[in-house]
Amino acid sequence: MTWTDVVAAVFLLAGSLSCLFGAIGILTFPDVVSRLQAATKPQTFGLILIVIGAALRMNAHSASGLLLVVLFQLLTAPVLAQIVGRAAYRADSIRRDTLDTDELADRLHRERSSG
Amino acid sequence: MTDRADSRTGERVVSRRRPWWSRVARKLPLLLWLTLVWGLLWGTYDAGTVFFGVLVSVLVMSVFPVPSISTDLALRPLRVVELVAYLAWDMASSTLRVSWQALRHGPRIRAGIVEVTLRIDSDHLIALLANGLSLAPGKFVLQIDRPNRICYVYTLGMITDPATIRSEVLALERRVVRAFGSAGERERMTELSDTGKDTR
Repeated sequence: MTWTDVVAAVFLLAGSLSCLFGAIGILTFPDVVSRLQAATKPQTFGLILIVIGAALRMNAHSASGLLLVVLFQLLTAPVLAQIVGRAAYRADSIRRDTLDTDELADRLHRERSSG
Repeated sequence: MTDRADSRTGERVVSRRRPWWSRVARKLPLLLWLTLVWGLLWGTYDAGTVFFGVLVSVLVMSVFPVPSISTDLALRPLRVVELVAYLAWDMASSTLRVSWQALRHGPRIRAGIVEVTLRIDSDHLIALLANGLSLAPGKFVLQIDRPNRICYVYTLGMITDPATIRSEVLALERRVVRAFGSAGERERMTELSDTGKDTR
């Protein structure tokens, strides 16, 4: 067992843990928008760590494709979160009682009442 | 309204005809990028792969043409590295925070939607900022009011003071502008911060 193995193992385990916490968040959080946070982000972070861990154990030749996996994940995940989150807000499937402040609703309310 | 239109002219989709060599030169970066991706997919860069990479890229670009967009984005490599490092750190620390919140609060989690008035006035910079914000767990941009440069940021976790969230968003905005902003955007930024206007 070399140092590379140890570092790779740490990355793989940390990545898996991050995905696990993401899954726990999906189960326990109350509404679509908060679950979205757990579904898209810890999973992205976990994937990046797992890819780094895997790349350490592979030769550079086969690891290059992994770069693309990370890149497209980073580009697509936030867009997905934003689109779904917006749709959820508009469709009113957000638990308003969990919000401490909602300045978007305040503004919509102002605009509606002013005409 | 007029000054907004003025400041946006730099980003308008270019539609007038340019000489053919100029049009080819403008398409080269995309061609190189697509060929690079092709090479990454195959894992090699031997002559045959590159040849077919270029062929496939030309095919893709002619079947799915994209308008060439001129931007006034600048690129400062050191600042970009700084931004990437910050985003990586933000991602790691926020993952820990959200994981802890999932275990500790779960269904009783609190959240908030905060209105932030941005100082930048460029479509591309705002898109970069929104994507950067949405990268880390716990925050994402729910809605953008482009004409008034307001974005609505959803934040997971107890919001004791919306001003903290605002200053976090504006701090990331500053980093994005330092890394990618044009000289004009950077000046605007320092002006607005100095006068204290728009930094609510």
